[in-house]
Amino acid sequence: MIHLQKDDTKLMVAVHGWSGILLGLLLYAVVITGMVAVFAEEIGIWSAGHVETRSAFARPIDAVVRKLAARTPERYRRDVSLFEIGDHRLGAFFHDHEIAPNGQPVDRGIYYQLHADGSIDKALEGTGQQVFGPRNDDALSSFLVDTHVRLHVPDPWGLLLTGILGLAMLVAAISGVLIHRHLFKDIFTLRRRANPVLVDRDRHSVAGTWSLPFAFLLAFTGSFFSFFSTVGVPVVAMAAFGGDQQALSDAVFGSPGKPDPSIRPIGNLDRIAADAARRTGGAPTFIAIEHYGRADSTITVFNDPPAGDIEPQTLVYRGATGAFDRVKPSIGTVPSAGGTLVAIMAPIHFGNFAGLLSKAIWFGLGFAMCYVTFTGLRLWLARRRGDAGSLAWLERATTVIGLGLPFALAASAAGFLVTMPAGGAVFWTPTVFLIAAAIAIVSGLLARSNATLDHGLRIATGTLLLILPLIRLAMGGPGWGQVITVGQPIIAALDIAMVAGGGWMLWRALGRRLSAAAVAPVLEPAE
Amino acid sequence: MILLSVATVVFSAVILALLGLGDPKRRRAAGLGSGEMTVAKRRLLAGIACLPALLCVALGDAAAFMIWLGGCAVVGWFVALWLGQTGKDVA
Repeated sequence: MIHLQKDDTKLMVAVHGWSGILLGLLLYAVVITGMVAVFAEEIGIWSAGHVETRSAFARPIDAVVRKLAARTPERYRRDVSLFEIGDHRLGAFFHDHEIAPNGQPVDRGIYYQLHADGSIDKALEGTGQQVFGPRNDDALSSFLVDTHVRLHVPDPWGLLLTGILGLAMLVAAISGVLIHRHLFKDIFTLRRRANPVLVDRDRHSVAGTWSLPFAFLLAFTGSFFSFFSTVGVPVVAMAAFGGDQQALSDAVFGSPGKPDPSIRPIGNLDRIAADAARRTGGAPTFIAIEHYGRADSTITVFNDPPAGDIEPQTLVYRGATGAFDRVKPSIGTVPSAGGTLVAIMAPIHFGNFAGLLSKAIWFGLGFAMCYVTFTGLRLWLARRRGDAGSLAWLERATTVIGLGLPFALAASAAGFLVTMPAGGAVFWTPTVFLIAAAIAIVSGLLARSNATLDHGLRIATGTLLLILPLIRLAMGGPGWGQVITVGQPIIAALDIAMVAGGGWMLWRALGRRLSAAAVAPVLEPAE
Repeated sequence: MILLSVATVVFSAVILALLGLGDPKRRRAAGLGSGEMTVAKRRLLAGIACLPALLCVALGDAAAFMIWLGGCAVVGWFVALWLGQTGKDVA
């Protein structure tokens, strides 16, 4: 292990503690929502009762896209983005590029949301920022993801904030390694009945040691995503493209070729989607068409990583003929180490490269990191408990956020389930979260002791988790027989996970109290 | 691929459990008497626990390697939590 001088160790302990205590509560909010957001897609399916299992790109889309193109004004037909929305339905954004007054490139066009039969459900016109947002059926998963990505703070400040939190996590991980002299010797040592400082220290350091490699990976990749568009792109554009971010995007991510604006109908999209699925082993996840209806049109098809790989595959087709052109690196036109590194950032951060198995492990890692953050805060407070009473407010705040956040997230899920059938989920999901957060804060102010607050929030969260499946079924969600028949068992699996999670929380909160009461000595009148 | 990933995690989990059971510091802290592993034995087991990583690298299966790495982290932590429930603590 690394042995530091006494003064250096003291400095590192201070850096570790203060970086955690200053940003730990916000970091905890980002980590816990990230942990839940690993299953954002599955939570979307569970909460909205989606029963379609076939990808939109595994069904015919060619005729639908041609019809949409025919009704779209020519000024928006430069590029087309095709992606899945809701219950494996198709979303199509016909758009052109323009520069906003602040110098940022923006896309403006018409965003079509389609029904399962290809008819138009909604057509929204405006910039990407204006037309893309949570829909009634994905309000819960969108809320979770947006909390994790930017804590609902407007761009670019939200992304900068979460990027800084990622760096704080890196600092805490590095300083943690430096101050822990017996990192591997203590890896199995958890003293439960020692003094509270030792108990908290063991819990914190054991979970931190086991999850250390992933603390680095997840913090680094998370910071990369936060700083990519807010700092990286503007700086590189300024240095190499005279500030023109669109030129940078075209050069780095585009498919450069000789311009040919002559009119040529687009190749068959169904054949392209089928060919991409054959080459990569799965249906595409996103299709981007550049120069729609021109001879120099290119179609870029994005796919999940093939089996055994973690790098997503990007295939380029000639737009006019639909013929396969090449496998595209994520950066530039030729494969490079940098391109591969950038390509694997997302799978490593999201853990979505091998289906439910990798997601379940990433969820476990997220849980370990929540535990490390929360026990770290408690350890810092436990070490100062005897010093002064003035930190009692911080202990309350730690409990309000540490246990109030899961409570508010569970409440927002309940709010979504109750209001989604009537079409009010976009408003009520965050509103119920705020109401539940306010209840947790007021409870923090009024509770007799921190232990009472801790206990109450655990019971409330456990109860909510336990009844969420019942609310889902009561509001008309599909039953287990139906979801298993249609091949969507993830809905039943999440029901079981909610009940197990809620039951575990209640058992921890109530079972221990009951067993403590059973063994506690009771004074008889004669005594 | 899924089968390989699960097999590698299960293999290493068994070794991690053995390492945890014989961990000298844990046994001393929990007031458990004999049964401590020697340094050589622990190093050997730690090396064996890492063998699945070599298999994943040899097969060029990056996904299985990442699942093994993440799986070992989660399982190792759970093993530590599970073993933390046993014994009588000595502060």
